[in-house]
Amino acid sequence: MTITGSKKLQQAAGGNTDVALAARGLGHAYHGRNVLSSIDFEVRRGEFVCIVGPSGVGKTTLLRCLAGLQASTSGTVMIAGEPVTEPVPGVALVFQDYSRSLMPWASVLHNVTLPLRANGTSRAAAREEGLRALTLVGLDDVAAGMYPWQLSGGMQQRVAIARALAYNPALLLMDEPFASVDAYTRADLEDLMLRLQRELSLTVVLVTHDIDESVYLSDRVIALNGSPASVADIVEIPLGAERDQVGTKSTAEFAALRGRVHALIRGSRGSADATEARE
Amino acid sequence: MTSNTLSTSTTGALPRPVPQRTGRLLRLATQAGVIVLALLLWWFASATLPEATMPSPVETLARMGQLALTGGFWDAVGQTLLTFAAGLLICTVVGVPVGLAIGWSRIATQSTRLVFDFLRTIPPIAILPLVLLIYGPTFEMVLVVVVLGAIWPILIQSVYAARQGESLLAEMSASFRVPRRWFVTHVFFPGSLPFVMTGLRVGTTICLLLTITGELLSGAPGIGFQIQDAQLSLDTPRMYAYVLVSAVLGLLVNGGFWSAQRYLLRWHASNRKESAR
Amino acid sequence: MTPSTARVARTIGLEIWLPIVLVVVWWFASANSTSVYFPPLSSILGSFAHDWLDPAALPKNLVPSLQLLALGYLLAVVTGIVLGLVLGLVAPLERATRPLLEVLRAIPGVALLPIFIVLFGIDLQMKVLLIAFGAFWPVLLNTIDGVRGIEPVLLDVSRVFRVGRMRRLVSIVLPGASPQIFAGARTALAIALIIMVVSETIGGNGGVGYFLLNAQRNFAISSMWGAILALGILGYLLNIVLRIIERSVLRWHRLQQARLESQP
Ligand SMILES: Nc1ncnc2c1ncn2[C@@H]1O[C@H](COP(=O)(O)OP(=O)(O)O)[C@@H](O)[C@H]1O
Ligand SMILES: [Mg+2]
Repeated sequence: MTITGSKKLQQAAGGNTDVALAARGLGHAYHGRNVLSSIDFEVRRGEFVCIVGPSGVGKTTLLRCLAGLQASTSGTVMIAGEPVTEPVPGVALVFQDYSRSLMPWASVLHNVTLPLRANGTSRAAAREEGLRALTLVGLDDVAAGMYPWQLSGGMQQRVAIARALAYNPALLLMDEPFASVDAYTRADLEDLMLRLQRELSLTVVLVTHDIDESVYLSDRVIALNGSPASVADIVEIPLGAERDQVGTKSTAEFAALRGRVHALIRGSRGSADATEARE
Repeated sequence: MTSNTLSTSTTGALPRPVPQRTGRLLRLATQAGVIVLALLLWWFASATLPEATMPSPVETLARMGQLALTGGFWDAVGQTLLTFAAGLLICTVVGVPVGLAIGWSRIATQSTRLVFDFLRTIPPIAILPLVLLIYGPTFEMVLVVVVLGAIWPILIQSVYAARQGESLLAEMSASFRVPRRWFVTHVFFPGSLPFVMTGLRVGTTICLLLTITGELLSGAPGIGFQIQDAQLSLDTPRMYAYVLVSAVLGLLVNGGFWSAQRYLLRWHASNRKESAR
Repeated sequence: MTPSTARVARTIGLEIWLPIVLVVVWWFASANSTSVYFPPLSSILGSFAHDWLDPAALPKNLVPSLQLLALGYLLAVVTGIVLGLVLGLVAPLERATRPLLEVLRAIPGVALLPIFIVLFGIDLQMKVLLIAFGAFWPVLLNTIDGVRGIEPVLLDVSRVFRVGRMRRLVSIVLPGASPQIFAGARTALAIALIIMVVSETIGGNGGVGYFLLNAQRNFAISSMWGAILALGILGYLLNIVLRIIERSVLRWHRLQQARLESQP
């Protein structure tokens, strides 16, 4: 028993192209102040895409619009060929702040299975799926029975990832998922995501302010800049499927790509500074 | 010790600031609408219920206006306020320092825990008949009941407040070799204030409740007595008018407390304009 | 003795010595008391045993009180939580009714006693309603605050993963608000006890309040002291019951707080 969203998405995508997600002329304003303007991009099925930009540029806003949590003030988001106005089936989101996105009163397993139970999976099946997802992210049965706040930060974020995986998402959205963990854990989690994405053929859109991270993880990097933010450019990352923290990051190719993304984002450094005050 | 506190939040939730002007007008309008609706319900109930069980809102307000012209009304209000204020003052002046002093020492805290816990759970009304026999229906009698009822939350919460002194700030002060006097006035008192205020908030409510209850049950002068007297003389409009007055007093006392707290705790996170949540 | 049992013994000793000393001091200081109002502790304990420990006396003195309290308090808690959830979840409704609620809440519960007598007459139903009305407000207001204080990210989580209304209420809103709800329930219990005693002084159906009134009329001072003692013990026991429930329901909260405190 798994979520049926992916099937629906595949059917819809099977008709024309293999586009999983598309933003068309997306714009957003808070109280009349434009934060995003005419954002355009597409994400193909099975692709790992990073959206990168400085703090405060509007990455979270963009991701919330993509997830259907927030209605954009102009333009549309298309998932499975249909416009998104509210959260749709088959889309999972991993939030930046694991300590706030996990229920402190529920066990790790209960946190992971809630979305399944809420969508009609039986208790026993949800338990099985949940334990499997936890194993995928490297957590055992002991951790499954603990409260999330009894785990380290990195492990908590693994729980949040397991929750998203258990949901069997056709599209996985992640908002700066590794920004609040230490550097070693961050490297581990990056490699975990690369492996999972390959093994499960996930479609991932990950938002980050870290240029290295975006280049290391993606098939394509979407660079945001300006105020209001728009897409500066989309950079293909032809680094191949096999990557590792030391080897890949020390290649000349990696350095060049990272320099390119850097330059794109710095294109309007001044206005990015102005909005940096708020994380 | 945590289980002794009165509330999980340190200060309770403060009313949130309203963002926009048009939203504010709309909000005031709907709030007024709800009040009018409630008054209409009241009026409807008074019209359907048998005679002399419930006066209409108009009748009640008119009666309140009449009463406000009499000296007896202001005597009653003044007496109730006096008892309330004296009770709260005594509870604060005694409860807060004693509580902080006890909380300062771990041994004193543990030694007194059971005693305070027990005294706190005696419903203060239980001692009223006894105190009434001793003092008769007087101001002193009500005051004794008020103080013996309202002092416990204030005292216990102050003990708890002082225990918070063990925290990071105490270590910080020690590492900077902050003199003790300076530590007490600049770190210890401000740090315990939010917790003390929680106790005072509960204490304030209990003070007013007990003042009016004491007057009502014992016949000591004040608003409570007026309510009881009106019932005995079957004067329902007067009874409703005084109950309304007691509600207004409650509102004023609550409002006064919030503004005092806002001022005293203006640095506290719950009062900052926008926290990162 | 192992170090840990020694520590437990020390803690118990520290907590218990003062109550013992106070009782002993009371016993001897009052032993030869001739004051009418402060009888010897021995005679107070005698009355207490006679009025409150004798199984024959309980149906008249205690059972009516417990029945009244249980009905009124449960009514207050249930309606307080249900309405608090509704008002906490529907923000416009909460904003619109806030001033009205503040006025109603500001009425000291006991002041309504005469009104309730006129409206409902002197019977069990009136007393239950009066207790419920007084004890309702702390539960209601704390539930509203608790619901509104729920982590907004968790509500986003429930939307993204399409958690339905009912399950959201049961799995997220109610547990998230429960620490606040219990705080309200504790205050409500104290208020319910006060109103219970007061309402029992009206009409002659037995109960602690009625007993107190009778003792006062008969100038039975020792009985009054005994009743005060009984009420203190009753209140203490009820608080312990509430705390046991709270400790099991909020186990996660207690452990989490302890952890937060141990690692600043
Ligand atoms: N709820 C909101 N109301 C008003 N302004 C907001 C809100 N959320 C974000 N903003 C503003 O929008 C801009 C982009 O915010 P955000 O999307 O959080 O950026 P990022 O995630 O890239 O750091 C910031 O300037 C921020 O102040
Ligand atoms: Mg962000």
